[in-house]
Amino acid sequence: MSDDFNSDASPTVFVVDDDAAVLKGLGRLLRAARFNVLTFGSPQEFLRRHDARAPGCLVLDLAMPGLGGLELQELLAAKGSALPIVFLSGCGDIPTSVQAMKRGAVDFLTKPVKDAELLEAVRLALEKDRSAREARVEMDGVRARLATLTPREREVLEHVVSGQLNKQIAGDLGTVEQTIEVHRARVMEKMKVQSLAELVRVFESARAAGL
Amino acid sequence: MLAGTCLTLAALHLLVWCRQRTAWGSLLFSLSAAATAAMAGCELWMMRAGTTAEFGLALRWLHAPAWVLVLALVGFVRVHLRAGRPWLAWMVCGVRTLSLVLDFLFTPNLNYREITGLERVPFLGESVSVAVGPANPWMLVGQASLVLWVLFVVDATVVVWRRGEQRQAILVGFSIVFFVALGSAQAILALWGIVHAPVTASLFYMGIIASMGYDLSDDVLQAARLAKDLRASEERFRLAVEALPNATVMVDSRGAIVLVNAQAEAVFGYTRAELVGQSIERLVPERHRVLHPGNRQAYTAEPITRAMGVGRELCGRRKDGSEVPVEIGLNPIRLSDELFVLASIVDITERKRAEREGLRQRSELAHLSRVTMLGELSGSMAHELNQPLTAILSNAQAAQRFLAREPVDLDEVRDILADIVEQDNRAGEIIRRLRMLLRKGEVQQQPLALNELVREVLALIQSDLVNQGVTARTELAPALPSVNGDRVQLQQVLLNLVMNACDAMNGSGPAERQLVVRTELADGELVRVSVSDRGTGIAAQSLERVFEPFFTTKPQGLGLGLSVCRSIITAHGGKLWAMNNQERGATFCFHLPVHRGGRA
Repeated sequence: MSDDFNSDASPTVFVVDDDAAVLKGLGRLLRAARFNVLTFGSPQEFLRRHDARAPGCLVLDLAMPGLGGLELQELLAAKGSALPIVFLSGCGDIPTSVQAMKRGAVDFLTKPVKDAELLEAVRLALEKDRSAREARVEMDGVRARLATLTPREREVLEHVVSGQLNKQIAGDLGTVEQTIEVHRARVMEKMKVQSLAELVRVFESARAAGL
Repeated sequence: MLAGTCLTLAALHLLVWCRQRTAWGSLLFSLSAAATAAMAGCELWMMRAGTTAEFGLALRWLHAPAWVLVLALVGFVRVHLRAGRPWLAWMVCGVRTLSLVLDFLFTPNLNYREITGLERVPFLGESVSVAVGPANPWMLVGQASLVLWVLFVVDATVVVWRRGEQRQAILVGFSIVFFVALGSAQAILALWGIVHAPVTASLFYMGIIASMGYDLSDDVLQAARLAKDLRASEERFRLAVEALPNATVMVDSRGAIVLVNAQAEAVFGYTRAELVGQSIERLVPERHRVLHPGNRQAYTAEPITRAMGVGRELCGRRKDGSEVPVEIGLNPIRLSDELFVLASIVDITERKRAEREGLRQRSELAHLSRVTMLGELSGSMAHELNQPLTAILSNAQAAQRFLAREPVDLDEVRDILADIVEQDNRAGEIIRRLRMLLRKGEVQQQPLALNELVREVLALIQSDLVNQGVTARTELAPALPSVNGDRVQLQQVLLNLVMNACDAMNGSGPAERQLVVRTELADGELVRVSVSDRGTGIAAQSLERVFEPFFTTKPQGLGLGLSVCRSIITAHGGKLWAMNNQERGATFCFHLPVHRGGRA
């Protein structure tokens, strides 16, 4: 099964609800709106069959016997899954919805749910997943490019992005300005950036991602 | 004059005997008195006799009443005093009869060989005839009979005396001995010619008749007193029946009413004159009249004090034809040799009404408690209803989208419509069940499968269980016999117990929130249902108190739930109780009698 889930696959809406009829209805509605849909009768089944690499989003019933929606959300977060979640609940219980939203839920919808609301929320969630994946892909590139730098080039990069001039950098590193210029050109080339401004942006986002 | 008195007494007692044929004493006395009168007549004839032949004839005939008197007196002693040796009695009678026979064989009679002449002697200022002539030695036979007679009476008197009836011994026995001895002695002396006096034995025998008469009249007086007592006792009985708090009817063995009290008049609307002498079936409704005489006869065949028609609802019929619910107690009364039945009838109209009122109040309270409980469950109910509604809406909107596509996937749409119908039914079923629980109706007894009831209740409360993070497990006995009961009320009990179990586990960790509903057959007679939780349990001193009204541990609870549950189970002939589990938590159990005739 897990072979079906690879990062290149088209995004899928995963629906988890313990009520078979509701599950079937939601699945149908989402399919009718031309989404790829996979349905699961319980959180346990979802955990067993789900591949974290698969793109998509989760439509999750809040109240289920055994493992509830909130618990599943927590479990996925602990596993490092960034799968966006749309919650469905039988009653619009405010404290629960606040808790769910705080933990990063995309939306919190009350049953019976109107198609427009559900589809909008699902679209939003898929978009969030897509952009998150894109950001991750970009970050992976940055990470790979950073890895190609020599330690000296890395030093030069850090000084450059901190806004120092070549002369100052040469002074700091105990070398001549011409050498720094060569290193700097190499960094720009390896990092595949055209301008200093672009280099600063990429580096900052990488630093933000903890690289 | 003497003879007249004797004849009057004789006639009187003959009359007594005629009225009461068993009063042999009266007949014998009557004979004795008549014989004494006859003897007096013969003696008078002798005194007035002008010729020797006439005297002889009179004396001969004197023996006839004497024979009657002896035999009657012997009989009287045997019958009235219940004493005297039989062989002696037979001997007296035999010897006396022999002397009577000899009397008629000899001429002129038993006493004289021949009467040679008559002598006039003065007697009580008159001149009377006395016979002169040689005595007949065979006279000894007659006199022997008199001696035996005296012996017989003495013997009998001693027996009576020893029996402790001194008064009767003196009055009858002693007087007979005394007067017989005296009369016989006088006759013997006169007849042997030792004294020149007329035979006046009857004079002495009169004494016997007088004392016998006195004794017998005592019996008559006693009978009169008894009759008076009886009348008084009858009156007392009638007054007692009259004073009974219940309507009372006394019936003879043929079913005819003999006695009715005022309460019975009031209950049935008849006057007693209209009832006495009538058949008891007049008070029985028409529909039971055919069977009633048979039941009545069965009762008289085996009369015991008991309630009538145990287990059946009895009805009486009033004069206006209306029926009155009654309870009847039957008491057999045996008077002499006739059986009467005293029926004590209680009008239970008021009790029936109170019972109905109690039932109505209990059912209202049950309803109130049910509504309260469902109020607590309303969130969960809304969720329960939301599921099919969600499914319906999703399906319908999916269908709209499928229909907007070209080409339309009709198979898909058909499936969707089938699912919508199914989910609509599901929602309808939830509403139907809810409405049933909220219904405020008559209690309806029917055979119920408790396993099915458990599953229904758990389905009803499913979302509430989920919300509270409680897992419910069932251990249902297969092939459980059904019970007889009201579906709604028993659902209410189960729902209440399950909800309580959930509440009891509010403070428990998620892993502990488990409840088990168990059904089993106990002793083959009872179906037992238990609901166990793993909560904090119940304080030992509160195990009974939890069933008291207004006892509650919940801040928003009314404290009616369990008390209503218990009254419901009790009204179903079952029992509801609580106990703590060995490990942790508490178990509430109830059992109900198995419904006869059918398995679930």
